[in-house]
Amino acid sequence: MISFRPNEDEESFVDVARGLAKEKIRPVAREIEHNGKVNQKLIQEIRELGLLSLEFTENWEDLELPLISQVQIWQALAYGDLDTVQGLSDAGDAASFIRLIPDHPVLQSFKKTIVEDGAAVSFLDLEHQLFSNLNVSNEGTEYLLNGTTEPVRSAKFADYVLIGARDSGGESVLLWLDKQEYPWTAEEGDYRLGLLASGLAKMTFQNVRVSQSHVLAKGEEAEKLIKAGRTRIRILQAAKEVGLMEAALDYATEYTAGRKAFGKEIAKFQGVSFRVAEMAMETRAANHLVWEAALKADEEDESADGYSLRALYRAHRSLRFVTDSAVQLLGGHGYVQEYPVEKWMRDAQAQVALYGREKQMLTKRGEQLIKGVKEAAMS
Amino acid sequence: MISFELSEQQKQIKEMTHWFAKNEIRPIAMEADKLGKVPDEWLDNVNKMGIHLNTSSFGGGGKSERKEKKEREGNRMGVLATEEMAWGDPAITLSLPGAGLGGPPVQSSGTPEQQERFLSIFTKDKPRWGAYALTEPEAGSDASGVKTTAKKVEGGYILNGQKIFITNGGRASWVVVFATVDPSLGRAGQRAFVVEKGTPGYSCTKLVKKMGLRANETAELLFEDCFVPDENLLGGEELYEASGSKPSGFQVAMKTFDSTRPIVASMAIGIARAAYEYTLDFVRREYPKSGEMFRIASDTLAEAEQDIAAARLLTWEAAWKADQGLPNAKEAAMCKAYSGQISLDVCSKCLEILGPTGLNHHLVEKLYRDVKIFDIFEGTNQIQHLVVARRQYAPYEIRV
Repeated sequence: MISFRPNEDEESFVDVARGLAKEKIRPVAREIEHNGKVNQKLIQEIRELGLLSLEFTENWEDLELPLISQVQIWQALAYGDLDTVQGLSDAGDAASFIRLIPDHPVLQSFKKTIVEDGAAVSFLDLEHQLFSNLNVSNEGTEYLLNGTTEPVRSAKFADYVLIGARDSGGESVLLWLDKQEYPWTAEEGDYRLGLLASGLAKMTFQNVRVSQSHVLAKGEEAEKLIKAGRTRIRILQAAKEVGLMEAALDYATEYTAGRKAFGKEIAKFQGVSFRVAEMAMETRAANHLVWEAALKADEEDESADGYSLRALYRAHRSLRFVTDSAVQLLGGHGYVQEYPVEKWMRDAQAQVALYGREKQMLTKRGEQLIKGVKEAAMS
Repeated sequence: MISFELSEQQKQIKEMTHWFAKNEIRPIAMEADKLGKVPDEWLDNVNKMGIHLNTSSFGGGGKSERKEKKEREGNRMGVLATEEMAWGDPAITLSLPGAGLGGPPVQSSGTPEQQERFLSIFTKDKPRWGAYALTEPEAGSDASGVKTTAKKVEGGYILNGQKIFITNGGRASWVVVFATVDPSLGRAGQRAFVVEKGTPGYSCTKLVKKMGLRANETAELLFEDCFVPDENLLGGEELYEASGSKPSGFQVAMKTFDSTRPIVASMAIGIARAAYEYTLDFVRREYPKSGEMFRIASDTLAEAEQDIAAARLLTWEAAWKADQGLPNAKEAAMCKAYSGQISLDVCSKCLEILGPTGLNHHLVEKLYRDVKIFDIFEGTNQIQHLVVARRQYAPYEIRV
């Protein structure tokens, strides 16, 4: 039955997350950006509430929440500040792979440090790194890694890195690297645009030889896993983007309701109020596409991949529009750092750059529609 | 629990209406457009089958029936069904016998006697229509500015004025007419009357020719010293007395919109989907399988598919809220604004993909002409923006 009503558990989780976003995250967002990292106390607080392990399965000592629940919680958290949420050192995007293969012996061997110690993991999706020169050579008994990636989220503080790649033979492979065993360097960069606390860095690997014992999957199995992982990541990232849109919409609404010009509140000018209405519609539309994709992924429907492309493409587009609109509606105040919207617009653009080129997602979705999912995957 | 799965009943109505749209409506769509009318024999036949456009059964938020423990789903059923029907053809869908847009005000504001009298006439013996007359030459988006007067006299009211753009207005057995008892009272002076065909002083003066929806009748109505008895005042005097100085007649009109806008939005979605599916099929058959043209087509179709999905979900949300008895004015306006806008855009993009081929006896060019009005009637896109903005600023007590 068509319904837009969250269940009671979801409502409770969202209440907690929203409260945290408003009271603990938003007030310190500027400071976090300035420091370039999220303080440990805040991370610990969020972890203790169980919000950093939403993807984990029951045998990873968590609730195994469906994506439709998770997206609502991430939305609520990102309402506080997207940069802070992206800077939480946790399993990050790799959590989606832990969800898919929780019993894998390699993952099991790191379970304690991830669950109990809160180790940080970075996910490197090499196929989407157009300008990376990192090569993964299949040397028979091991993989040889050489080269440097493009900037990756969490790379600066990651204890582990999960790499999804095609090796020199064109075969898909999923590798799990422990920094202590397979050291890499995280190259400090000159990041100014946004998501400055999210641990952005290039990763350089010099003659790193990865043994078979650190291969999570290869060949067709790896391909399937990477595809399924990407689907979940797209949906979760799109949800965070909706959270930021909601923040920008609410902030711009409140500001324009109070700000006066020409003797009246600027909300009373239709140029302003109609833009706010557009922001509201765009935010809602993106929200629903994200929810729909989450539901499809929870059903393990084969269309979920396409729905996730659609959701993230739309979230990117809407996010750029809504955050830009917020700056526009605040006028000069929107441009200065006394107000949060300039930061949100910068964070939004950085997020869009990190998580998939819009046109590429659109074209891929279009191919799926015309050729069918299977044929499009081969083309 | 959040779910976009259809219930069994919803699936059934979707399948049934799709079957009807595909096998009965679509085959005559181009011909009806050319004729400028839906053939009478066809209307007779569908009426005998009991197929009506009766939006009152989809009414939201109104009087809840005592019977049901079961969750109400009429609004959701309504939007699912109309999307399918409009997919077949919107002009024919709007021409289907039934109370049409006149149904919701009678259903939500009529007395039980009026509901019985006006809604029970839609029987299988012959096709009949209801209509809704709000717009006037000088009162379109500003519905509060209607000039048609209703002067109280012994036993009823005398109506004088003109109504335009009235769907099925010429053939309607009755029409809900909005008029003012005192223009100086503004919205508070408005009343809604049911005027029956054949009432002296009531006439249809013109059937207009349009860009699209040509098979559907759009009428101009004239009321010249037209006497309407008290019993045809919608809701009776009590309704207006009970609400004191509140703008009750205006509220009847506005309340109607909250349940009809999702229906209109779903029609726009059905049209966009028809254009999209047609074009997708064309591209699969006729376009190169790679290269620049393929990429342009795939990007364009992906964008269209996504816009349609987003519009549908916004519409479902508005309908779901109505079923739950929750206020849905904002969502109804959102879905109407969004669907009206994207549907034209989708049809336009599809025509672009088809190129000159699309100009010659082509369903998509017809859909493009048809769909434009969906961004105008039942409240223009700009009015929907206003409604959304007002709801958005309501917590701050700013009236925009």
